[in-house]
Amino acid sequence: MDGHEVAISMRDLRKVFKRDKTKVNAVDDFALDIHAGEFVCLLGPSGCGKTTVLRMVAGLETRTSGVLTVAGKPVIFPGSDRGMVFQEFALFPWRTVRKNIEFGLEVKGTPEAERHSISSKYIDLVGLKGFEDAHPQELSGGMKQRVGIARALANDPAVLLMDEPFGSLDAQTRNLMQKELLRIWSATKKTILFVTHSVDEAVFLADHIVVMTARPGKVREVIDVDLPRPRDRTSREFIAVRGRVLTELDEEFEKARAKELSPE
Amino acid sequence: MSEPGELGGLIARFIASRWYRYLLLFVSIVLFVSIWHALSWRLNKTDPVLATFIPYPLDVAKAFLSSFTSPIPGPEVHIWTLIAASLERVLLGFALALAIALPLGLLMGAFKTIEYLGKPVVELIRPIPPIAWAPVFLFAFRAFWGPIAVVFIGAFFPLLISIIFGVRSVDPMLIDAARTLGAKKKHLFTKVIVPSTLPYLMTGVKVGLGIAWMCIVAAEMLPVRGGGGLGYAIWTIAEINRYDYIFAIMLFIGILSILTTGLAGEFERRMYKWTGMK
Repeated sequence: MDGHEVAISMRDLRKVFKRDKTKVNAVDDFALDIHAGEFVCLLGPSGCGKTTVLRMVAGLETRTSGVLTVAGKPVIFPGSDRGMVFQEFALFPWRTVRKNIEFGLEVKGTPEAERHSISSKYIDLVGLKGFEDAHPQELSGGMKQRVGIARALANDPAVLLMDEPFGSLDAQTRNLMQKELLRIWSATKKTILFVTHSVDEAVFLADHIVVMTARPGKVREVIDVDLPRPRDRTSREFIAVRGRVLTELDEEFEKARAKELSPE
Repeated sequence: MSEPGELGGLIARFIASRWYRYLLLFVSIVLFVSIWHALSWRLNKTDPVLATFIPYPLDVAKAFLSSFTSPIPGPEVHIWTLIAASLERVLLGFALALAIALPLGLLMGAFKTIEYLGKPVVELIRPIPPIAWAPVFLFAFRAFWGPIAVVFIGAFFPLLISIIFGVRSVDPMLIDAARTLGAKKKHLFTKVIVPSTLPYLMTGVKVGLGIAWMCIVAAEMLPVRGGGGLGYAIWTIAEINRYDYIFAIMLFIGILSILTTGLAGEFERRMYKWTGMK
């Protein structure tokens, strides 16, 4: 990890949704640089536009204005250089674990033998050995998300975008998957942009936590988490960072609530 | 004190079991046949002329059973000849409908332009009863293709509508996932949309097959090739007033419809097992 080249760069990023003649400013004046190999969490009150930012980086959402580059190239369409992991897994139910993981390679036209060796590698990496031929519906939530992660990684993207990937898992599985993700991250050295609304999760995972403002979403503050990994959730340092993030977030949460209660 | 509870539990378990379903099936048939019998009996007393059109269930059962051993009065051919002829028409008409509805439905579901071009025509023709097409097709396409065309028009629309609906119902999240994995438009179509549509297609297949059988009497209202078929048999038996045999042929049509639809259902179950869809 040289950690100095910019993997994702966002400047004056803006997204306006038009619904029934009303305009909603989802993201406004958003600016952030993410360096190669970094693990960055986007944190904010619900509806603050953090998922919108992620979807714009993925190319699934067009930006209204602003500059957004990944590895120096402006983002226009979705592409295999940016892998995405979804909260609801979004696995293809008719494909086996292996076939789900090979989807991107198939689309790319990778020869079958090579596909097989690549998918085997990621099946091993995420710990799905023995489940290659299972279909998603036979798997638990945690295992489904292992498939989701392996599927995104099989394309060997520079950037991994994760949209509340553990949001639908129970607490124990969630903690386990966080540890697993850190293991996978250190093995693959990907740049990770991770959306969550859990402060605990962000402090456990991230190099930098980007606290977003209530809608329209912009960067309120970037909090660096300098704790060594593996992090101990009960340590005094962990709790201190957690407290700091919570204070920031609470103010935005109050703002969001006030806005919701006010007429208009 | 625990006695009534135990009995209640026993009853609840029976109601949840498949034996309860079989019992209701039996009761349903017995009730139906009894009411039918009572109606025929009453009609024989009050209106013997009308009664010839509603034979006793027992007479129909006799006609049904003797169909297996002796030729059907009227067409004077064996029941298997009739079944084979009608089955061929139903399956060919249905296959033709599927062959056209599948690509058309996928295209109409996926492309707005094609949908808006096709929808007005489809909505105009769809409500027309297939029997209205019978004289047109039977005279225009003659003995072989005419009846098949009538079956075709009956099966076509339920297939088309369910395929279009299937394409519409594709989970947008799967499209998003495929796009982030590098899928282009053609991949989205072949690797996401088409497989997602399968369950809806199977619903269309089952409905379409049922309607194909419903069209067989209309499809065979004119002399058709090779001893007719079940539908044509009904028209010829009517000429000699053997209504017991007409009802027996109806029974054959119903059973064949249940069998073919059941076969499609079994295929569907295996497909789900094979593809891992629920």
